Amino acid sequence: MTDQTLHSPAPRRTATRSFRNLKRGQAVIVAALVFAALMALNAFLSPYPLSYFDVSFLASGGATTAIAAAGQTLVILSGGFDLSAGAVVSLVNAVLATSMDPSNMEASVPLWTAIGIAIGMGVGAVNGFFVAVMRLQPIVVTLAVMFIVQGLTLLIMAMPGGFVSPTLASTYLGDTIPGLLPAPVTLLLVLVALWLWLKRTAYGVTLYAVGSDPEAARSTGLRTRTVTFATYVLAGGLYGLAGVFVSAQTGSGDPLAGNALLLPTFAAVVIGGTRLGGGKGGVLGTILGAYILMIVVNLLLSLNVSAYYSTIAESAVLLIAVLAGSLSKDSTLSLRLRDLSDALSARRKGWLVTQRPAEDRRLAFTRPSDTAPRLSFMQKYGHTLRHALPAWLCLALVLIATQAVLGNVFTGWRYWDSLLVLSSFLAILALGQGAVILTGGLDLSLPWCIALSGVLLTGLVGGQDMGLLTALPVVFAVAAVIGLANGLGVVALGLSPIVVTLAMNGILQGAALIWSGGTPAGFAPPVLRWMMTGKVMGITPVILFMVVFTAFAILLLGRTAFGRRVYAVGNSELAARLSGVRTGRVIVSVYILSALCAALVGVLLAGFSGQASLGMGDDYLLPSIAVVVVGGALITGGRGHYAGMLGGALMLTAMQTLLAGTALPFAFRSVFFGLVILMAVIALRE
Amino acid sequence: MIGRFLAGTACALALSAGAAQAQDEGAPYDIYLSMSYIGNDWQAEASNMVKALAASSDYADRVNLEVQVAGPNAQRQIQQINAMVQAGADAIVVFPISPTALNSVVKSACSRGVTIIAYDAEITEDCAYNVTIDQAEAGRETAEWLVDEMDGEGDVVMVTGVPGTSVDTARTSAAKEVFAQHEGINIVGEAVGMWSQAVARTELNKLMATRDWSDIDGLWMQVGCYTANAMQLEAGREPSELLPCAGEGSNGGRIQMLPADTEVDGASAPYAPMGAPRISYASPPYSGALALKLAVDKLDGKDIPEHTTLPLPLVTNETIELCETGSWDEQKAGCNAFQPGLVSNPGWFASIFSEELPQLGLNAALVGQPES
Repeated sequence: MTDQTLHSPAPRRTATRSFRNLKRGQAVIVAALVFAALMALNAFLSPYPLSYFDVSFLASGGATTAIAAAGQTLVILSGGFDLSAGAVVSLVNAVLATSMDPSNMEASVPLWTAIGIAIGMGVGAVNGFFVAVMRLQPIVVTLAVMFIVQGLTLLIMAMPGGFVSPTLASTYLGDTIPGLLPAPVTLLLVLVALWLWLKRTAYGVTLYAVGSDPEAARSTGLRTRTVTFATYVLAGGLYGLAGVFVSAQTGSGDPLAGNALLLPTFAAVVIGGTRLGGGKGGVLGTILGAYILMIVVNLLLSLNVSAYYSTIAESAVLLIAVLAGSLSKDSTLSLRLRDLSDALSARRKGWLVTQRPAEDRRLAFTRPSDTAPRLSFMQKYGHTLRHALPAWLCLALVLIATQAVLGNVFTGWRYWDSLLVLSSFLAILALGQGAVILTGGLDLSLPWCIALSGVLLTGLVGGQDMGLLTALPVVFAVAAVIGLANGLGVVALGLSPIVVTLAMNGILQGAALIWSGGTPAGFAPPVLRWMMTGKVMGITPVILFMVVFTAFAILLLGRTAFGRRVYAVGNSELAARLSGVRTGRVIVSVYILSALCAALVGVLLAGFSGQASLGMGDDYLLPSIAVVVVGGALITGGRGHYAGMLGGALMLTAMQTLLAGTALPFAFRSVFFGLVILMAVIALRE
Repeated sequence: MIGRFLAGTACALALSAGAAQAQDEGAPYDIYLSMSYIGNDWQAEASNMVKALAASSDYADRVNLEVQVAGPNAQRQIQQINAMVQAGADAIVVFPISPTALNSVVKSACSRGVTIIAYDAEITEDCAYNVTIDQAEAGRETAEWLVDEMDGEGDVVMVTGVPGTSVDTARTSAAKEVFAQHEGINIVGEAVGMWSQAVARTELNKLMATRDWSDIDGLWMQVGCYTANAMQLEAGREPSELLPCAGEGSNGGRIQMLPADTEVDGASAPYAPMGAPRISYASPPYSGALALKLAVDKLDGKDIPEHTTLPLPLVTNETIELCETGSWDEQKAGCNAFQPGLVSNPGWFASIFSEELPQLGLNAALVGQPES
């Protein structure tokens, strides 16, 4: 790129090129400007002048997220997704804190740093092997590895404690040049320098190529597999370094230290202008993104924003930063605005397709043939079976294992009743999340959509059955609005579904806190409790409801025009649009469907527990994705069947039931759970 | 060592200087509260009680209280505490997300003369003050009660808290030690309850999928006895058949402990008296308010202990007593459960009485309103 600029013949072209480079760096520049503005605002609001100490502290405060997010950036650039980032940070922290010798105050910094990075790279190599060599979907591989690593961490360290040598702290938190350059800043500068070098190597070019178009990259003869593998290893190394940094910062270990870092790393990557899906962005923007996130926390305190509003404010920053970073003449938002004005002027002139008389204009030779060739059973359903069956086979295995270990599976109804009731939540979520994933999206706003719906319901019904008549419509109307907002964010603003729904999740969290005042009031009405815990001829009523729901879901996705459009959009949005599918409407509808399913789960969960609680949706996000993928769906969209997802929901619930029934320590259960998910997706391999 | 000593002295000097200055001006102290997650009952009550104490007539003119929430992320709490120091805090009352992760920021806050007091969970840094109960004692005493109830024999199901936290590990391992000393006691199932009634229900459902309630002889839980009793009733067992349960101090659980013929306002099953065999313990939510009181004492120049161990609130069927209004005076006379008509949420924690905080009654914990 530089070479071309140097050799370009005319000065005019140089000018346009540097302008283009500027455009290319727009996201990073915007991030830098936002960061500078927030920093200035923060300094202005603080009663004390910003001292070197403060800068040093801010630098170290954001460094862990920044380093981990840098690793995440590499994976995202390659078109992947790494959910194991936070777990690796915890693992390294736990290993360091348990294996350092408390009597040795002079432990070698390079040695322990190398150990931390090596551990991270080891986990990265596992991720890389399954993604690059076995060609499994990154999101599932890293989800399974996340569970396994979390379990291992708890095996190594059951509770916070341990010892980390102070030499680590003095190296990583001290000063490179006292009074001028804090060590964390140096560390980040070194990382940026390494990145700028790496970007120009063959590896870097291939990384961008793989992220932009893996097929094209492979056809060009690039070593895509090696590069993908190396990316996960490098990313793992960076998580390891973040773990070393946390250890230095805290002087001890905490087996849960890094787990909360996962979502902030995504936010940092996205704010920094890296495109989810790959091929565009870089580490520099990500590091700025991480510091923007951090400075927002300080600002909220200076401005004395109520804690209830803090997640809303953070979501707003996320959305604004991403929008500002992508704003241009060709961005989706401007395209949509132009479309809108074109449509309006066309309507005025009467040119719009819908304004023309509705008559059949098909050409003669496109007349459908009178007889369709009969397909054999395997031709018709083989494809579906191929992807839906593994989940059911795994379920059968888990059931046999449960019978062997705990018994009472095939001898009575009790086990089946529990299994079906407990899996109903995931089975319902699977329809919504599944439909979104079929279009190639992802809905991360489920947890707080569930919680808000539950809290709204119990707050509105006042414990009376009659209250349901007014409360249910309100709850589902709110959910529909949430889904509509998600869908419009994706379609009209052109933002990545992950960004929109992540921000929505934060907004809903704030909304639920404000509405409930921190403690949800009220109870689920008796009829709802009866539905989840009562019995009709020995069967819990919700199971009968689920039979109807399953039939509805299979018909909706498999037999309706809506279902066909969903698959069409997932296979190729462009092809679908050119075939006359109103892709925007389809995408908005799946998000509405997803929000409605989440609301239904919130209502049922409230009935199950008798009340609503604010954290009640937290445990359902990752399983909802796992269920869909284990059930045979492709995370990039276009492939999957509800029958498989249902099998996935039953399988995961049966697995959890089996693990809960044993007296195995939690750490082992987590490892087993991860292994089973991994095995299920290996079974799904093409 | 010398460096540490010097730092300590500097810290003390700065502290006394700060305190003297504040007193000269007669201005209220700037005290910050850094909470962890909001949105569970315990945290909400703790924060209500801190706010109530700050609003009480004894403290209203003396304290400017500002509350911030860090969520589950320790990194964020580190930033937050630092931002509070930058904003000029005199003292910071903190619910620490991690006992160790905050050490360096706490140390730097101390060196700037800020008093740091942690409540409920501990901060291991030396210059921080801690207000907690003895978690191991809680695990031990409740397990011993359960062993006695079961006459030293039978199968126990355990529902633990959040794995990987010191509080959960201390309670669970202390209880397991007790069970291990009795050969007749078998732990047949262990579920992770995350300190939530909702999670406890899901996990117990999984545990009971392959068992009958009659296969079990006792329950040891950190949170979930209320739910377990409700589930036994749903499964068709009589209140007289309820299993002995050692568990949390929620008001729902306390009401269930009352003899079945007790008259209470606003009860509806399962939030109703049923004579359930229970021992109820809790980390009391007033610990945050006590930390605030200690912070003010400290800023006034008084000596406060480095570690305040709160008396463990234990309630059994023998000591359970219903309050009429829930005022501090009434609780001082010995009552320890509140009318469902006043406390509509059964998961709400009932161990709110502190000898040292006459400003705080039921209304303080419910809505943040002090007694006077």
